[in-house]
Order: sequence, then structure tokens, then C-alpha cells
Amino acid sequence: MLEPQFEPALAGRAEPANTYITLREISTRGMIDLRGHTSDRKFMAAAKEVLGVDLPKAPRTSHGFGDVKVLWLSPDQWLVICARDKAPELAAALSKALAGIHSLAVDVSDMRAILRLEGEGAREVMMKSTSLDFSDEDFAPGYVRRVRFAEIAALFNIVEDNVIDVYVFRSYAHYAMDFLTKAARKGSEVGLFKKG
Amino acid sequence: MLLVTCPVCNATGDETDFHFGGQAHVARPATANPEGITDEQQRDYLFARINPKGLHFERVRCDRGCGKWFHAARDTMTMEFKAFYGITELPPDDVIAQAKGGWAEYFAMRKKKQK
Amino acid sequence: MTGKPYRLAEGGSRIDRAKRVTFSFDGRDIQGFAGDTVASAVLASGQKVFGRSYKYHRPRGVMGLGSEEMNALVGVGADAKREPNLRANQVEIYQGMVSESQNRWPSLTFDIGGINNKLSRFFPGGFYYKTFMWPKAFWKHVYEPVIRKAAGLGKAATGRDPDNYEHMHIHADVLVAGGGLAGILAAEAAAKAGAKVVLMDENPVLGGIADLTAGMINGACVADWLAPKIAELKAMPNVHVLVRTTVVGHYHHNFLMAAERVADHDPSLLAAGAPRHRLWKIRASHVIMATGALERPIAFANNDRPNVMLASAVRALVGRYGVSPGTNGVVFTNNDDAYLTAFALKKAGVNVQVVDSRARPDGELVARAQEEGIAVSLSSVISAVEGTLAVKAVKIAAYRKGQGRVITEKRVECDFIASSGGWNPVLHIWAHNAGKIKFDDGLQSFRPDTHNAAMTAVGAANGTMSVEATIAEAQAAGEAAAKSVLKKAKAVKAEKLEVKEPRRAALESLWFAPATGAYNEGNKHFIDFQNDVTAADLELAQREGYESVEHTKRYTTYGMATDQGKTSNINGLGVLSEATGKTIPQIGTTTFRPPYTPYSFGAIAGSLTRELFLPVRRTAVYQWHIDKGATWEPVGQWRRAYTYSGAGETKHQSITREILAVRNKVGLLDASTLGKIEIKGPDAAEFLDRMYTNTFSTLKVGKCRYGLMANELGFLTDDGVTVRLAEDHFLMHTTSGGADRIAAWLEEWLQTEWTHYKVFVTPVTEQWSQFGLAGPKARDVLAKLAPDFDVSNEAFPHMSFKVGKLGGFPVRVFRISFSGEQSYEIATPAGYGLSLWKAFLEAGAEFGIEPYGTEALHVLRAEKGYIVIGDETDGTTTAEDVGMGGMVSKKKADFIGKRSMEQAELKRAGRKQLVGLLTEDPNEVLPDGAYAVAEVKDKPPMKMIGQVTSTYMSPTLGRSIAMALIENGRARMGETISFPLEGGKVVRAKITDTVFYDKDGGRINA
Repeated sequence: MLEPQFEPALAGRAEPANTYITLREISTRGMIDLRGHTSDRKFMAAAKEVLGVDLPKAPRTSHGFGDVKVLWLSPDQWLVICARDKAPELAAALSKALAGIHSLAVDVSDMRAILRLEGEGAREVMMKSTSLDFSDEDFAPGYVRRVRFAEIAALFNIVEDNVIDVYVFRSYAHYAMDFLTKAARKGSEVGLFKKG
Repeated sequence: MLLVTCPVCNATGDETDFHFGGQAHVARPATANPEGITDEQQRDYLFARINPKGLHFERVRCDRGCGKWFHAARDTMTMEFKAFYGITELPPDDVIAQAKGGWAEYFAMRKKKQK
Repeated sequence: MTGKPYRLAEGGSRIDRAKRVTFSFDGRDIQGFAGDTVASAVLASGQKVFGRSYKYHRPRGVMGLGSEEMNALVGVGADAKREPNLRANQVEIYQGMVSESQNRWPSLTFDIGGINNKLSRFFPGGFYYKTFMWPKAFWKHVYEPVIRKAAGLGKAATGRDPDNYEHMHIHADVLVAGGGLAGILAAEAAAKAGAKVVLMDENPVLGGIADLTAGMINGACVADWLAPKIAELKAMPNVHVLVRTTVVGHYHHNFLMAAERVADHDPSLLAAGAPRHRLWKIRASHVIMATGALERPIAFANNDRPNVMLASAVRALVGRYGVSPGTNGVVFTNNDDAYLTAFALKKAGVNVQVVDSRARPDGELVARAQEEGIAVSLSSVISAVEGTLAVKAVKIAAYRKGQGRVITEKRVECDFIASSGGWNPVLHIWAHNAGKIKFDDGLQSFRPDTHNAAMTAVGAANGTMSVEATIAEAQAAGEAAAKSVLKKAKAVKAEKLEVKEPRRAALESLWFAPATGAYNEGNKHFIDFQNDVTAADLELAQREGYESVEHTKRYTTYGMATDQGKTSNINGLGVLSEATGKTIPQIGTTTFRPPYTPYSFGAIAGSLTRELFLPVRRTAVYQWHIDKGATWEPVGQWRRAYTYSGAGETKHQSITREILAVRNKVGLLDASTLGKIEIKGPDAAEFLDRMYTNTFSTLKVGKCRYGLMANELGFLTDDGVTVRLAEDHFLMHTTSGGADRIAAWLEEWLQTEWTHYKVFVTPVTEQWSQFGLAGPKARDVLAKLAPDFDVSNEAFPHMSFKVGKLGGFPVRVFRISFSGEQSYEIATPAGYGLSLWKAFLEAGAEFGIEPYGTEALHVLRAEKGYIVIGDETDGTTTAEDVGMGGMVSKKKADFIGKRSMEQAELKRAGRKQLVGLLTEDPNEVLPDGAYAVAEVKDKPPMKMIGQVTSTYMSPTLGRSIAMALIENGRARMGETISFPLEGGKVVRAKITDTVFYDKDGGRINA
């Protein structure tokens, strides 16, 4: 009898070489899609009780505490990030705490692949991939946004100044990595607003 | 490439991050009263649209962003957006005041109904 | 050839005489210097002819200074790397570069197509529309191939382009298009005020034509004064400067595109990983257009001969490359600016004289020419050019403004001509997106007027030709732009400047220089050089009634192709003005369209080629499918296994094997692509009742129900099985192709129509790997995987649902069937998908399990008469049409599509209805989409009564089966109808019901 063996979306794929930023898949994260209304105080309080962190109310922000980080997706949707093996119980705890409150918490840990861009050119590579202005001061650590990325839908989170996590649906992980590998190819640096 | 601002999440982005949903303020007769809808009413609901040169009102979804639908008032000649407003709302009064033709009639009818 | 006397002994600000560079032009090695262009190096070698013209195949040489070049187009690179139609004066040479001229056969100097020139009276304006009209078939087979071979521009690359390209987005407070004097000063002012500035220029170095301009700033010539400013600007942290980057288009809301030629000048960059071209997508809060001006030619007789150049082009050859087109030149002008060319030539030791159409120009430059001893013929024009492959002599005729004929003339030997008819502001990007333009009498050209976008024109682009005014205008515009964009702009301290520049005399328009001989005899006054449109062609078009300039443009092809009016627009309008007696503003102008200059398809495609051309979606089992020899069926962007052909097995054989495995043993299908949507909330059941044609509020928890979805027109759009997970919680399945569409559809109705519903919709398609386990042994396989739930038929009947574990796997199991067999669909989180798939195969081995693909799936479902949305429906098909009228609720007051289903058209008798078909010959498989006719005739037309929607060879039944939409089909059971195929063959088939196998459904419930 075969036992379940977790395979990340990019299992077996070598990490790209010859790129001017580091690109790799992060497969240790669990994710919970949480729905509820920002205006519903009971919901907000119950969610905080379970997660230990306020759900961010401001668009495109994230709150983090310990292992749990919450990304704002919409006025009635959040993505809770936690350790992968904690996701099922956290989702169950949320569902239990939210019983009777109009809400929906779903463990979606396998739905998306997380690709991490790390390095000085990370923002530049994102500007080859999306139409957004990553040189804007709003794009600070903690920033979250869904956006059209190359030809697909993606969600990104600026983790640190030069570290950006891009969340794509699992089936597109190879496409996204192929695109990023090409966009970040050594020799194709643009050096936007970079002096010296 | 139009630059669109979602009034729900306040994100501004290229039109390719949004999805256009046709003319705004088309009432679905069946929701109000599924009985006794004439063929003509149903025809107008499905197919009759206001198609002005100039100020126009459309539905837009923040498709790649917060996912919410909203309304946009756009000048079809200059492509200028005069307003973005909620999906259940009417445009701001100053924009309604600029409406012409079929749209002017429509907003006058809505005002009358409100009274 | 040594290059003498064309390469001057000294001079050349752009070249490095210490670095020799060898490249080839038409197979001949040419020596140039680093910094040379193809034009400068080839001219330095003594060659003047660069190509043949489009229609008349007249020899042509270099004409222009930059992007206005319309004659000297060359192809660069070989085979897959060749790029045609590049302007020789903009192509920078490098060691080993391969370049070639275009549109010549067999050679540049002897061109058989030149016969067209001799026959040119048969090729007047609009000749395409007058000739080649009849007989019709000749166009495709005779005229077009011949014309295509004889005319046309360069040859396209052969083979797949091996280089990389990419797109890049950039946002700027202020985008400055053009890096000449005006652009640099505007950028500097905006940047100093604190704005984020992007400056783009199409040339390899900044400065525009500052080096070709008269005047002194604080005691230095303009270029020298500008040099430190350029360095300073490039070093500013809030400024990004791009050279070799052409702003090609301006679009809505200040969106612009620019094409950067990253590595064309240096292929070693390609080897290091650089893209060859990069397409910039720019969003600017404010645009400053500093695109400068282009000199316009003068329409004089045979003004297209090799070595007839624009004065600015000659000045640049001398100043930048140390090259002179010849030893004995004539400058022909109607303005003061061209005198600068005469001075440059004289200084370089080249013999030169000036022909000026004006009677009494009183500017300082004219006076200086006389002081320098340069011969100036005032009130004169060039009335003839001698020489075909090169200029040998000109005739200079006395002229008075408006004079149309030559009265007296003299012959002067020379070997090149530098002409200037004035300057046209480059307002293409101003006009691309509805910017208004106005005619300026002083310039005798158009200049920017108003614009809806936040856009300012400065310097020559704005028609401001003096250095002093340009500086003031550019600095003010830069600062104002920054202020308009920034919340808090910094104050910019004004510099103290002392500007000296020559006082200039007014330009006098000259649209047509009278020619030697009878009117237009043997003389061609070219207006549009690239399309071989002459002044006579435009006049002819007028006489033939093409009054609108837009019609004239299309009739004569004037201003088309890469020229886009750069050199031809104003001169053409001038000719039309004189022909009609209307002023140029009365005539108006043609439309400027992007791109300003052509750019490569590679740049347009960017990196989205090869594996990135279209996103491909992979299930968790993707690689396993490949390893097992699966061929693919694309479903949306997904790749689904079509069939697994083993060694020595045809697809037909493997499909048959897979089908029989499901019917007799058990099969395993990767159904992960099916759409999955969680729907939860107190109003979820009512909401589903609105969305589906049938009812879901009555569904019991733990049970599954098949649902049909229609649109508001009443036509079917999707189907699938929905499960009630809890009283207020459902899991909906959609078709693979419909997953995103249906999720958006649900959201749309919740957000825009039934906003009071408390329902959340969360798509979870990708969370799950989902496998179909179908066949008489399906339960045995499931049981073997140690389920923690009862899998017996009683405890887990058809259309029910379990959550639990299979061994260590967390699963959701649906007992549903698309094959008519005992069947389960098992979902597990996608990360476990591959191992569960393998576990099924291992557990099922003893039962003869086989993986099956989508083709087997389709045959299996067709044997049972199950529809596929998109096969049995085409967007105008109702539930009633496909025999599923029973699934349209009569009780529900409202659901999507209900009211439309009551429209007479959707209820009328005689609509096409879904039926089964059995061909008379059981081995005959009807082609998909074959039409049935009411009556077979020898030839069409025949009345069509319907079409085949699905058709297969059924291994289960050992015969062919099909489904079809046939007019009034259900009333025709047992009737035999005919399908005439291509080639005269007619297939006859009997109409049956759609269920071919296991009509009582015993197997599904087993």
C-alpha cells in the first residue's frame, strides 16, 4: 500500500541557474482561503481569536504574527498563510469558531504554488512580468496584490525589500517558473533607476 | 491601454487587469417580478442598449484584483473616466448632469421612481 | 576602394579612427570605423546606390539624417537572423556584420525592374486600381505574384528567430520622448523638481542635432554646453535614460510604447544574455514631446537621384563621420538653415555653392556665406539633375515665387546635392491619440495644438526653432510637468545663460521647383520616395476627383509604409494646395498612426514564444502521463491525456483497450481539470436554484445531483454534478473549460443582481487532484485501499458522497458516473495526487486496472447518450433540444434563462433535437459535423436538416454510433436519413434514441 507522499508543484525540477535573481519554489506553506465580511464584527473577532492576528482591513496589506500571516485579498476574502502541516487543523478551528457566522474557510494549501524571487533585481523582474510600478513607495514589505502576471493570474506579496513571493495556481507553476527564468536571465538586467 | 481605478479596493491598473461587463444599469425584469414579463420587455433586457457618442456608463470587474464589480462613467470620445462608483449605486449627481440622450432619459426616469 | 576622397582627412565626432571595423554590404567587405553607420561607411567607400525604388526601380541612395530615411533601407543579418527594412543611416556597424541592399535584381547598378521607369507613363497614381482589374483570376495567379517579386521591400528572415526579446513596464512622473537640447533640458528641470523622469531617444547618443545647430551658449557651442548636462542627467537617481529606444506610439491615458534596440549594435551582448530588442510599456503622468523636427526635401525634377540628400544629412555625415558625399556639392534651399551645411562642407575642404529660391533673404547666415566666399545664387532653383546612378550636374534656373516654368537656366557640374525645404516638427506621437495640430505659416508646417492627455511639446517638435526659446520653453515645461504631477515639487533655480544665435531670414515655401523641358516630361518630382509618388500623381488624383486628402493618400499610396508622412506629408499637401487653390489648413492632413518607426515582431511577441507562447496547465499526474506515452488533448489551457498507446499499439487500438477495460474490469481517469467551486451561506440553496435550471434546494446532505446551467438567453452553457456538503454548503463541479467562467458567473450574479444573498463562492479547482475510478471492479479497488467508510452499494449508492480517508490519503469520494459503469470520483489534495494515482494502479493491478484517456471517456459517455456541453450544444441549444426538458423546473418562479425559454422561438416545433444514429453499415463512422439533408440531390443546394454532434466506433457494441441534432428528431424515431459527404458518398443512418448501452442503468447502480 502506497502512503501519501507530498509532491510540490515543481517537484523534480532543477532550480534555475544563470539568472540574476534567485528563483525557487516554497513548498512548506499551508494556505487557508477565508471568506467573511470586514463589517461583521463577530466574524473579525472570531477569526482573530483563532489566528492570533487581526485580519487586515486595508486593501493590499498583510498582517503577520509568528507562523501565521494573513494576506488581504478583497473586502471579504483573506489568505491565511501558516506552516503546511498546521493548515488542516487551523482550517478546522476556523470553521468551528465561525460556526453560525456567515463565512467560509477552506484549506487550499495545494491550490497554489509559491515562487520566491530574491535579489536586488526582484522588483525589476516583476516589472517585466506585470504592469505595476514596483519602484513606487507603496510597494513596501507587506504589500499584497492580485494581478495579471505574464499571461496568467497571480498574487504576490513583498516579503522583504528584495524578496517577493508570487503565488500562482498550481497548474501554472511550470509556466510561471519558465517565464521568470527567462525574464531574470543574466545579461537581460535593465538596471532601472539604479546608479553607480 | 486605459487606466482604471477600482472604487472598492482603490487599486489603479491597466485595463487588462479588469474585465468589462457591458452597459451599466440594465434592470433584470425577472428579479423584480418573474410573472408577466412581456416579450418586448425581455427583448429590451437582453438586447436593447444605449450606445452613445460621449458619456457612457459601463460595468467593470476588478478581475485580477479584489474581484468586485463596479460601475464606470466613460466618455467614449476622449476615453476619459468621469467617475467610478459602486455596483449598486447611481453615478454622482454632477456626472448624471452631463448625461445626454438615452442616458439622460434613463436617469430622469430613475429620479422620478425615487420620488 | 580606398574611401578617398569620401572619407575626409579629419573630423567625425562619432567615429573612432583608431578602431577599424570590417563588415559586408552585398557580399563586399567594407572598412569603416567604430561608430560608423552602414550609410556613412558605405558612402565613405564611394558607393552611392543603396537600393531600388518600390515601383519604378529607380536607383536610390541615402537621403536622410535619421528615421525619415526612406530610400537606403537595408537588410541586416543572415537567414533566421535577418531583419529587413532597416535605415542604413541608423544601423551601427560592428565587426563581421552582414548587410545587403534590397529590392534589386540582379544588382544595384543593373536592375531589370528599372524597365518600369521607362514605362512609367503606364504606372500613374492609382495604377493598382486601374490596371490588373481583369480578368479576375489573373490577380491571384499572374499579377500579384509578379508584382510581389518586382516591387516590395526586403526579404524576411528564414527560420525561427534564435534571439530573445522581452517586454518591460515602466512608470514615470514625466516621460520625455527625445533627447536633444529640448528633451534634456526638460528632463533636467523635471528631475530637479523631484519628478521620476524617463528619457528615451532613438539615437545611440543623446544630444539630438545640437551638434548640427548654430549658436553659442555661455561662450560654448550648443553641443559642448550640453555635454556636461547629459552626464549630470544620467547620474541622477530619479532619472532613467534609454538610448536606441524609439517611442513608437502614444495611446489612451498616457500609455506609450517604445522599442529599444538593445543588442543590434553589439552582438556580444546577445551572447551575454541580453534580449535583442526590448519593448517598453510606459505609463506616464505627464509626457513631454521633444521629438525634434525632420528636414523636408524639395520637390525638384529627379530629386531622388543617388547623392541628393537632405542638408542636415550631409552636415551630419561631415560632422559626425568625417564623410563627404562628394567633392563638389550644391546646397539647394528655401531657408537659412541649409547654409550651415555649406559652411561645414567648406570647412572640410569640399567645394560648395548655394542655390536659394528666395529673392532677398536678409539673415546673418546668408551674409556670412557671402563673407566666406561661398557662391550663392538667389532667386534660383534646381531645374534638372543629370546622372542616373549618381549626380553628375544640375541645371540652375532663375525663379520667382510661384513660377511654374523655366525661362533661363545654366548647367553646373557637381556630384551631390544637399537640399532643404524647411523643417517639419515631429508630431506623430502627439497625433497618434487625437492630439490636435495646427498649421504654422512661419514654418509652413503643422505644429502641436491642444491635447486631451497631459502632454506638452517643446523645442523643434513644438515648432520652436531658436536655441534661446527652446531652452526657456523646455525648462519651463519640465518644471511645470513636475509641479502638475508631484504633491510637492522642489523649486528649480534658474541658470544664468547668455545665448547668441544668428538672426534668420524667413523661410519661403517652395512646393514645386520648375523643371527643364515641357511640363513633367522625363522629370519626376518625388513627394513620397518610398512609394514612388510624384507631384504629378497627386495632381492627377485631384483631377480625377479625389478631393479629400485621405482619399488621395489611399489612391496614390502617398504617406504610407514606413514613411508615415515623415518627409512626404507637407510636400504633398503643398502640391495639393497649389493644384486646388486651397490653403494647406483647408486641405487638412492625413492621420498619423503608430508606430512612428517600424519595430520587430520579436519585440511585439516579447518573451511569449516557444514554451511561453501559451500557458500550459499541468495536473499533478502530468509527468506520469508523459512517461506512459500519453498523447495530449488540449482542454482550455490544460493538457489531458487523450490515450496511452503502448509499444506497437495504434491510438485506435489503445482507445479500444481502454474502453473495454472500463466496461469489463476497471479504468482510472485523471479528471483533475474539472471545475470545483465551494458555495456556502444561508442562501446557498436558493442561489443554486437560481443558477441551475433544475432544483437544488431539495437535495439531501451527502447526496449528488447533476445540474444544467443556461444563460439568460435560455441556452445551455455548462453542466456538472453538485454535492450538498452541509445544509448551507455545496460543492459544485463544472466542465473543465468552464471552471473560471462559471466561478465568475456566480460571483457576477451575487454581486450585481441578488446582492442580499448571504453566499460565499470560493473556487477550489486546483486544490484537488480528482480521479475517476470506473468499471465493474471499481468498488473492489476502492475497498482495497482501506477506506475508513463503508463502500458497500447500500451504504454508498450511486449519486452519494463520502468524506474520509483511503489509507493515509484524505479524500472526498463521489459516487457519480460519466461512463454508465459503477463509478467513483476520488479527490485528494493535489500534492498527494501522484501518489494516490499510483496507489490506485497498484491496488487495481489484480483487477486489471488500466488508465484511460479522454477519448475513451468520450466514447463511453456517448455509448450512454450523455451530452457534452460544446459538442451536443453550440450556444443556441436548449435543454429541451437535447431531450433534457425534464431538468427544467416548472415549479421555480425564477432561474437564469427561464423567461427566455418561454419565448416562442425556443418552444417552436421543428427545432433541432438530439437523437441517436445507427448507420446502415455498422463499420461506417460518420464524420463529425456531417450534415443530414432532407433529400439527396446530384449537387448542392440541398436542404439541411441537422448535423452530427458526436460520432464514434463503439467497441462495446462492436459498431458505430453517433448523436446528432436533427430537425424534429424525436418525432422521427426509426426514420433513415442521409448524410452526403464530400466526394459524392452518401451515408444512411437510422434515427434512434441516444442511449445505446445499458438502457435500464443496471450497471451504474451495481
